[in-house]
Amino acid sequence: MTSCLRTTALSLTTVALLASSPALAQEGSTLDKVLERGYLVLGTGSTNAPWHFKSVDDKLQGFDVDMGRVVAKALFGDPDKIEYVTQSSDARIPNITTGKVDLTCQFMTVTGERAQQVAFTIPYYREGVGLMLKADGPYADYAALKAAGSDVTVSVLQNVYAEDMVHAALPEATVDQYESVDLIYQALESGRADAVATDQSSLAWYMTQNPDRYVDAGYGWNPQSYSCAVARGDHDWLQFVNTALHEAMTGVEFDFYAASFKTWFGAELAPPQIGFPVEYK
Amino acid sequence: MSDLLHFLDQIWLARYVILKGLGLTVSISALAIAAGSVLGILVGLSLTYGNILLRSVVRIYTDFVRGTPVLVLVLASFYILSAVGIDLNAFQAGVLALAVFCSSHVGEIVRGALQAIPKGQTEAAKAIGLTFRQTFVSVLWPQALRQMLPTWVNTAAEMVKASTLLSVIGVAELLLRTQEIISRNFMSLQFYFLAGLLYFVINYGIERFGKYVERKTAVPS
Repeated sequence: MTSCLRTTALSLTTVALLASSPALAQEGSTLDKVLERGYLVLGTGSTNAPWHFKSVDDKLQGFDVDMGRVVAKALFGDPDKIEYVTQSSDARIPNITTGKVDLTCQFMTVTGERAQQVAFTIPYYREGVGLMLKADGPYADYAALKAAGSDVTVSVLQNVYAEDMVHAALPEATVDQYESVDLIYQALESGRADAVATDQSSLAWYMTQNPDRYVDAGYGWNPQSYSCAVARGDHDWLQFVNTALHEAMTGVEFDFYAASFKTWFGAELAPPQIGFPVEYK
Repeated sequence: MSDLLHFLDQIWLARYVILKGLGLTVSISALAIAAGSVLGILVGLSLTYGNILLRSVVRIYTDFVRGTPVLVLVLASFYILSAVGIDLNAFQAGVLALAVFCSSHVGEIVRGALQAIPKGQTEAAKAIGLTFRQTFVSVLWPQALRQMLPTWVNTAAEMVKASTLLSVIGVAELLLRTQEIISRNFMSLQFYFLAGLLYFVINYGIERFGKYVERKTAVPS
């Protein structure tokens, strides 16, 4: 089954359901419902390291999962009070608009189009795209790739703007789109592609898992914000999740956020400066 | 050699996850095939013997379901049903969608098998004084069943393969489980091969079962 059809079908479903969604906002805030229920229903994926994936003992883990845990901790003082709904990337918006999840944290890029369908929280990560090459491959770096023009094939995760994204850095390159992260790496490994273009966080994670086999081409572009998302029209709930995320990045839960950041991206964060709030600098 | 050992080691680490996925795939398929077959027999009977009204309604149902991609049925049963107040979880919604899809195929198989029996037999049965019910039970159905089996096995195997589509709505069947393992160890070729092998084993089991029933129902010669 092609992904294109899948996406189209999901979009149609979403559109059909958006028409009936304003009624949902009337029934009290999700915040109260979640508190009464005693656990958070978090939508996320299970197949993309280091964002959301399964450990050897079959537990969901990753940076997205930790953001959900930040919210659960703010709600119940216990980061484990979460029921996970594993969903494909295509299901992120439909599952929010149909109320199957309270909150989705699944490396969701903030765009104007999406913001018309769901309400985004404040960003918890700024992603950029990078290029990864084989260490012993024919191209040494970004300059070599660019010079090779249309001879270069770049494997990329399937997305509506994937083609444009690659062409912003390599205007003539051939773009091959794949369904999942492991397949874009497989394409590089098997020689179907000369470079992988994907999020730098994923590349960094993959290169630390496979030391010395790959190199970063040394060029980054395409900044994008990652935010969690909730249903539109529930200001209380959005405000609550925003507060929880904000304090994880700047306040009392900073250690939780920094520990997670270190685990998944391998970098130490300096604590926010004490005194005048960093937000207003 | 060390690659193979590494692969075996990874399989061993993921053994429970693989077994859980396999178990879920088998349960989804078994439920969908069983429910779909029962419903499908009713569909087939309606298409063959129903009055014009029943026949038209069932004909629209069959054509609509058969003409719709399984994925669309899966998404519809998960999202659209919940919008009208029937809140099925992902597993239930998935089984429902597959069972409905299966029923439309089995319905056509049953209709085809019944209509392939020459009219003369029904007339002969009538001539020796059998009621329609007796004709159906002793003359038509036993022959139709034998006709149906090979195509039914085909449909059952299709259902097992269609169960992979349930990963889209988050049912942790074998394919999604495999993808979860691959996202951790990036051994995509090896683990997709393993998943392919397991799907083959399930479908081979169905085929053997079909052959067994064929032998049991064969006309003694």
